[in-house]
Amino acid sequence: MDKLILKVRNLKKIYNNKIVLDIDNLNFQEGKIYAIVGPNGSGKTTLLNILNLLEKPDEGQIFFYDQAITNKLNSDTLEIRRRMTLVNQDPFLFHSTVYDNIAYGLKIRSISSKVQKSRIRSALNIVGLSAFKDRKANQLSGGEAQRVVIARALVIEPEVLFFDEPTANIDQKHIDVVERIIKKIKKEIKTTVIFTTHDLSQAYRLADKVISLLDGKIIKQVPENLLWGEIVEEEDGLKRFKAMGNIKFAIVSEKVGLAYISIDPRDIILSYEQFQSSARNSFLGKITKIIEQNHLVKLEIDIGIPLVVIITRESFFKMNFNLGSKVYLTFKASAVKLY
Amino acid sequence: MDFIVEGIQKAFQLIFTLDSEIFSIVLLSLRVSLTAVILASLLGVYLGFLMAVKDYWGKRFSVSLVNTLLALPTVVIGLIVYSLISRRGPLGIFGLLYTPLAMIIGQFILAVPIIIALTHSAVQGIDKRVRNTALTLGATEAQSAWTVIKEARYAVLAAVITGFGRVIAEVGAAMMLGGNIKGSTRVMTTAIALETAKGEFGFAIALGIILLFVAFSINILLHYFQDKRA
Repeated sequence: MDKLILKVRNLKKIYNNKIVLDIDNLNFQEGKIYAIVGPNGSGKTTLLNILNLLEKPDEGQIFFYDQAITNKLNSDTLEIRRRMTLVNQDPFLFHSTVYDNIAYGLKIRSISSKVQKSRIRSALNIVGLSAFKDRKANQLSGGEAQRVVIARALVIEPEVLFFDEPTANIDQKHIDVVERIIKKIKKEIKTTVIFTTHDLSQAYRLADKVISLLDGKIIKQVPENLLWGEIVEEEDGLKRFKAMGNIKFAIVSEKVGLAYISIDPRDIILSYEQFQSSARNSFLGKITKIIEQNHLVKLEIDIGIPLVVIITRESFFKMNFNLGSKVYLTFKASAVKLY
Repeated sequence: MDFIVEGIQKAFQLIFTLDSEIFSIVLLSLRVSLTAVILASLLGVYLGFLMAVKDYWGKRFSVSLVNTLLALPTVVIGLIVYSLISRRGPLGIFGLLYTPLAMIIGQFILAVPIIIALTHSAVQGIDKRVRNTALTLGATEAQSAWTVIKEARYAVLAAVITGFGRVIAEVGAAMMLGGNIKGSTRVMTTAIALETAKGEFGFAIALGIILLFVAFSINILLHYFQDKRA
């Protein structure tokens, strides 16, 4: 059995009297890639910051190999902090050149400039930015900056590499590049990688194991079309879920108030015409994204909020859907799952 | 009217012939003010940084206090330091009064609040991600602090230059603590005051031009660093 590099035990983090993280038991094996998925505010970033010792938990303990590492001063954990590093969602580059940025972690470790040079060269190589060494950091695009930040993390040869939403703020071209880099890290460097994402398919594409967080707790699986909003009782006595953009779904619910809901993308029927049926939810939307996945096609449809719909390849071609096509989405109130 | 024209002519003559008295006064001014500002920067940048990044009891009060001290009149500084270092004062035995060191002390006190206040706002304006980025890359607390100051370098330099601009142009403390002794504590500002009173306009105007030139250069530098920041 592989060794456990990080262990989380009975972890609790509280902000403003609200428990934002509540994890009893979580293990990370050496050399594996982990994805932590969940919607915004589910505690992903907080968990990464605690694992990387940037934040302290209110209760519980983190173990690096078998050493308890939380609730110690920064100066006491320096040696362990130097074996891990975090790439932020919103990357920050120091106001200097690409080279100096990447050299930072090596300089503060007093590594000789000869070794610095060769490590920086190979890190730039991995992220495909060899020609960018002398560029000023503030002249880079968002995607390039993200890759420099990854190189800056790689040069210090960490045993654990955390990525917070590595592809949240960059365009599709760079998303592909960043995903390729993560795969390369797994293959060539064998560092333990722990990244967060709200893109479930990305999580399954890259990770050996997917951990789902919802409201600070680990759940078995994060569903697609997870939405946060309010359940209200309307004048007709029926309960509806009000999502962002004042979109209302008919649901089956006992309670009212703030809640998460999800709609299984396989439970949504697409049609060009609105049709009479027993299903109480019907919305007109526009197809904004088409992703083919083996026998299935995943469509992103904007009905005021984006919803994901999965249909078979056969129906996709039969219906002749295109980007920008206007379609009706129909699903039953009982297809809306409550949390 | 003639005396002004004559004064200006005389002034340029003095400057272009590199009059030794003028230049010894200019050099002393620079020496005193630069020393004061370098010492004030060591303390002021450090305290300004701590005020920006640390949480401590009385933080708001200390910020208000420093901002109040920005308006400290130079004659009041002169008065306080005078009372401490005059022969009858608690530090009288050191015989500091009417020495360049006394002027340095006065100008140091004048510059420190300026440098603290401007460093404080410079460091506060630095992206909060700098410190976290440094820590995640394995920096010690001291290394991450140094990184933050380096990110704020242009604004901190602007703070130091502003402090220098203030002290080189002040006259109250230099007069009261230096005593305007020829060849020993006579600096540009005190010499201008004295020579004007004596009617030696050419000499005063020459120093005035040089002082303006110094002030102008300081402003150019300041603008340069402020642009760099943007």
